[in-house]
Amino acid sequence: MFLSKIWFILIALASAVAISFALIAPRPFERRLGALEGQRLDRAQYAAEQMFKVDAHKWIDHVGKLGRDAIIAESLDAASRGSGEDRVIHRTIQDRFRTLIPDLTSGGIDSIVAVDTKGRVIARVGDNEKEYGDFIGGAEIIADALRGYLSDDVWGVNGRLQRLAAAPVLSKNRDRIVGGVYVSAETGPALVERLKKNLDVDIALLLRGKVIASSRAPGQLDALPELIAHHTKEIEAAKRTQPISMMVGKEELIVVAAPFPGQAGEQQAYYALVGQHPADSGFTALVQNATSDDLKWGQFHWLPLLGGVLGMIFIGLFLQRLEIDAPLARLRRELQKLSSGDAQKIQDNRYGGKVGGLARDINAAIERFTHAPTQRSDIAGKDLNAILGPSGGSTFDLPAADSAFAPPPPAFAPPPSPSFSPPPPSQSFAPPPLPSFAPPPAPSFSAPQPFNAAALGFGGGGGGGSSMAAAEPSNLPLPGATKPTAWGPPPSPSEYEDDTRQSPPQSDGDATRVVPYDPDEEEEAHFRHIFDDFIAKKRDCGESTVGLTRDKFLQKLRDNKASLVAKHNCRTVRFSVYVKDGKAALKATPVRE
Amino acid sequence: MMTLRNPLSRAPRLIIVTVVTCLSLISSAQATTVRGTVKMPDASRSTRLYHGYWRLDNGNVPVQTSGGAKAETIVVLENVKGSKAPSARTVTIELGSLDARPRLVVTGPGSVIELKNTGKVRHELSTPDKPAIMQLETLLPGATRRQRFESVGDYVIRDSEYPHIMISVIIVGTTFFSAVDDKGAFSIANVPDGTATLKVWARGKWVAEQQIDTSTLGKEELTIKVASQREQLKAEQEAKAAE
Repeated sequence: MFLSKIWFILIALASAVAISFALIAPRPFERRLGALEGQRLDRAQYAAEQMFKVDAHKWIDHVGKLGRDAIIAESLDAASRGSGEDRVIHRTIQDRFRTLIPDLTSGGIDSIVAVDTKGRVIARVGDNEKEYGDFIGGAEIIADALRGYLSDDVWGVNGRLQRLAAAPVLSKNRDRIVGGVYVSAETGPALVERLKKNLDVDIALLLRGKVIASSRAPGQLDALPELIAHHTKEIEAAKRTQPISMMVGKEELIVVAAPFPGQAGEQQAYYALVGQHPADSGFTALVQNATSDDLKWGQFHWLPLLGGVLGMIFIGLFLQRLEIDAPLARLRRELQKLSSGDAQKIQDNRYGGKVGGLARDINAAIERFTHAPTQRSDIAGKDLNAILGPSGGSTFDLPAADSAFAPPPPAFAPPPSPSFSPPPPSQSFAPPPLPSFAPPPAPSFSAPQPFNAAALGFGGGGGGGSSMAAAEPSNLPLPGATKPTAWGPPPSPSEYEDDTRQSPPQSDGDATRVVPYDPDEEEEAHFRHIFDDFIAKKRDCGESTVGLTRDKFLQKLRDNKASLVAKHNCRTVRFSVYVKDGKAALKATPVRE
Repeated sequence: MMTLRNPLSRAPRLIIVTVVTCLSLISSAQATTVRGTVKMPDASRSTRLYHGYWRLDNGNVPVQTSGGAKAETIVVLENVKGSKAPSARTVTIELGSLDARPRLVVTGPGSVIELKNTGKVRHELSTPDKPAIMQLETLLPGATRRQRFESVGDYVIRDSEYPHIMISVIIVGTTFFSAVDDKGAFSIANVPDGTATLKVWARGKWVAEQQIDTSTLGKEELTIKVASQREQLKAEQEAKAAE
């Protein structure tokens, strides 16, 4: 399931990345849209600036034409020289202005004023047109006109913004300046309306810290003067601001502000272009702003998405089948075979991962149930009975316990009765006596006493699978074993295996290796022999012998022997090796003399 | 035999000694006339403080370039040895015709500036840079506002309604100052020899300052170049970068 886990982790990571992209992706676009809106405002500000310039030039042209009018020139010349009556001159110029510009309002003009060379107002039309005689020559634009310049200016007077253009009035011969004319136009709601119409952005006009006209609802831009006040240095240097963000309630606006030229610039006179920040880019906004058109085939990449999803599902299912379903199905089949008796155990080495663990657990459980202590003792008893007869001496399995040869009490079978006569060993298993063996002490032989010996802890692979198992007839010469004719040739190991599988072990080839009970040296030789046989059997059975050392093995045999002798009051114990359930096993047979 | 001399015969000697002594004293305290030219940047040569989008010649009659804002330039020598502050006086400035006359006043500490509205419009006057001196007040037509300036310094009275009206009040501790003419030339006579600080005031602020040694000037004419606002900004930025 390793690959499945990796796949799920990859899917989770890919999902996290996809969700992150989904949530983050709108932000760059939002910034981009904000920047684009800022650029739009920049262009609008540039366009507004050009409009103001064009307007100013238009006014200058306009007022220049007025200054070239002969009647106005003659009247102002007379006024400058003091040669006429002021009231008459006033009326004459007024009439002339009205003749030249019949409708001031349509021309966007608030007033037209004519001054003599001293800056004295001779005539007005428009605002305060009945007043004249006051001096305004100190105003820079008027003074400039009287110096001979045509120029424009912006004033902020009495809370109003006024754009002005002035021109000198030359004498009839155009050789001297006889006065000046200026026109003024209020820069207020009318201008705001015109700019909004032309530039398609909201406009606000500010003067001395107040919004004096705006295309947005009153009060919405009250915070604008303070906002712009924080950017005065920027405005002073660049004559405009970068796009500034401004919150109005929950609405985010983008503002670009620029100063008016002229002396109004000194009076914090600005025009601000106001745009709207793009919609919120959060998840809810994303959902709200998505339309059905966005999900159409032509708009959305359905095929790659579906292909990707199906590919991921296919890979996931494939890995699941490879690592879970198939092994489980195989395990199930094996279990079915196991339950039907077609198999003795599960081939757990065919499985990997947790299924393999499950298989091994099942095997272990089978092993435990089939070799439970009580059953084992029964089996041992059966073996004993099969080999030695019901009352004969017995040999016992060495239980598969880590306690190596520690005989578990429940498994311990009662010692045989003295009258027990061992049955003759099976001829097929009766090994021929080895010539080198000492003659069996048959007359004095007391039948092996049945007992349950402890298992060797060193079973090699299989974790207890190498239990020393089933009883074995004594490797001492038994009465029946003295008949050489009854003995066949020693069976091959495979035959031993088969025999041990088919029936409880009655004898094996090792039984032929009778080690005479003799002094200690001979007993050590017996132990070494048993070790060699055990190793050989294990190898034959394909079991691992790693960790199985001679010294350790011999020591275990000695300990076990001592324990059994003490417990059963026998003279010694004989061990033999046989194969049970495809694994090497040991038998211990008590010997009484 | 003793010879008696007439006491009057000693008079010529005394006169000679006295003259020599006076001459030596005069030579030790010589005065110099500091002459020079203030070269204003192009933008400051305009007669206007504030410009609109356009300013065109009429094409027929030559334009007049004198007067206006550029006439408000003075040169002041400070830290002159032995100089005294001018006496306090009262200066009346008339506000009329949308203008102030005079626009520049140089006087001594304790002087009173009398602002008299002779026009038909109201003015809102204050010293924005030093609001403690003059707070914003409306000066109605015909009204007068007086303000005493006690200490040496520069004060700019602004009209918030008509920003082009800018009155510079320079309270100095020296009598060595001079206005510049249309060409920027100035001359300050009888300046004692020694070091002094030459400062140039134009359009409401000090635009140049330099140390001079009048004893080494002789007949040399100073040339004071006033940096433009852009140049000043650039210099400030370079100074900051150097720091």
